[in-house]
Amino acid sequence: MIKSIFFPAFYLACYLFGAVNVYAHGVVAGYTEVPGIKIAAQYDNGSPLAGGEITVFAADKPTTPWRRSTLDDQGEFVFVPDHSIVGTWSVQVRQSGHGTMIHIPIIEGEVGPQEDAPSGALTPLQKGVIAVCVVWGSIGTALFFSRRKHEKHTAL
Amino acid sequence: MKKSILVCIIFAFLGLLIPAPASASGTLTFFANGEELITEGFLPPKQTKDGWTLTFDHAFVALSHITAYQTDPPYDPHSGQPLSTKEKVVLDGVYVVDLARGSDQILPVFVGEAADAPTGHYNAISWRVVADKGGILSGYSMLLIGKAEKDGQKIQFQIRTAEEATYTCGEFVGDERKGFLREGEAANLEMTFHFDHVFGRADKEADDPMNTGAVGFAPFADGAKVHEITLQGMHIGHAGEGHCAVQWH
Repeated sequence: MIKSIFFPAFYLACYLFGAVNVYAHGVVAGYTEVPGIKIAAQYDNGSPLAGGEITVFAADKPTTPWRRSTLDDQGEFVFVPDHSIVGTWSVQVRQSGHGTMIHIPIIEGEVGPQEDAPSGALTPLQKGVIAVCVVWGSIGTALFFSRRKHEKHTAL
Repeated sequence: MKKSILVCIIFAFLGLLIPAPASASGTLTFFANGEELITEGFLPPKQTKDGWTLTFDHAFVALSHITAYQTDPPYDPHSGQPLSTKEKVVLDGVYVVDLARGSDQILPVFVGEAADAPTGHYNAISWRVVADKGGILSGYSMLLIGKAEKDGQKIQFQIRTAEEATYTCGEFVGDERKGFLREGEAANLEMTFHFDHVFGRADKEADDPMNTGAVGFAPFADGAKVHEITLQGMHIGHAGEGHCAVQWH
């Protein structure tokens, strides 16, 4: 069994049959854990995306298709991802000018999802605080040495 | 000693004047696309659901509040959940574009661009179709001008609406993935309009959900030069082939 799928199977059921707004001729898709990952896609009215195009994008090359294929008569497709490529995989399904994209987090072993890493760039507020600290530190240091020298002269 | 301290302070202040390294950025370009059904027309076998052949001289639409987002998790317009935005880029102003201006070679119509957009994957977009007070639209948000033909009957038409709606879409769905902006490079996003949701398609089944929701062209074939249309219920705004959440104003 593949352990690297977060969302339980009921997500697909809810997604397809309940907790979605209905759009005219929209496409909805989901995935379940099988030996591999099973993609199921259908129109809002419940008819499967039979024969639709499916494109899988691996996490390391999000703009280059990892695999292209066709959905079966039930609008389904099963694939086994390369588990050495961890991260978010994306799957696009399309037919007759309508389609959707779903995203599947793939992790290796029992490693959990990574927390959002802080951005390397500083915000304007952060820059301002740093600037104030530098100025305050410089002035404080200067006053400190200036005071000590003044006290020395006074003592003499 | 005092002089050396003063020099230190001056250098500290000078250090602050050195600009901080700019965050990674690129150019994000926005396009609008009425697809072949507008640039080429509803031509056989893709006539309207009631059999009219349409060609468009103009398809004006006024767009505002154009915003690109980096969302995590990726936005799903079907979920009813709000955007979880990490970064966003707003294109200020109102843009009136003619979707019929595209060609089969260069379909999307340039709308505008945002320089110095933060790098990352822009996987959601929203825009508002607004009534433009002046110009060609003069109070309307959309105006279609063209010719229709069926069984030898030829009609010149103008169809317009003043309705306003905000479309919020997830990632572009199409031949390629869009919105990946790398440092110093350019990426583009597209606001796509599916007019088969308005007129239907003869090459689709009559009970196809798109056809059952479309009005066809017959309501506009009574000889009047100008018609008003209600678009509510017809989701014409897309991101490529991906559907969008719609909020009518």
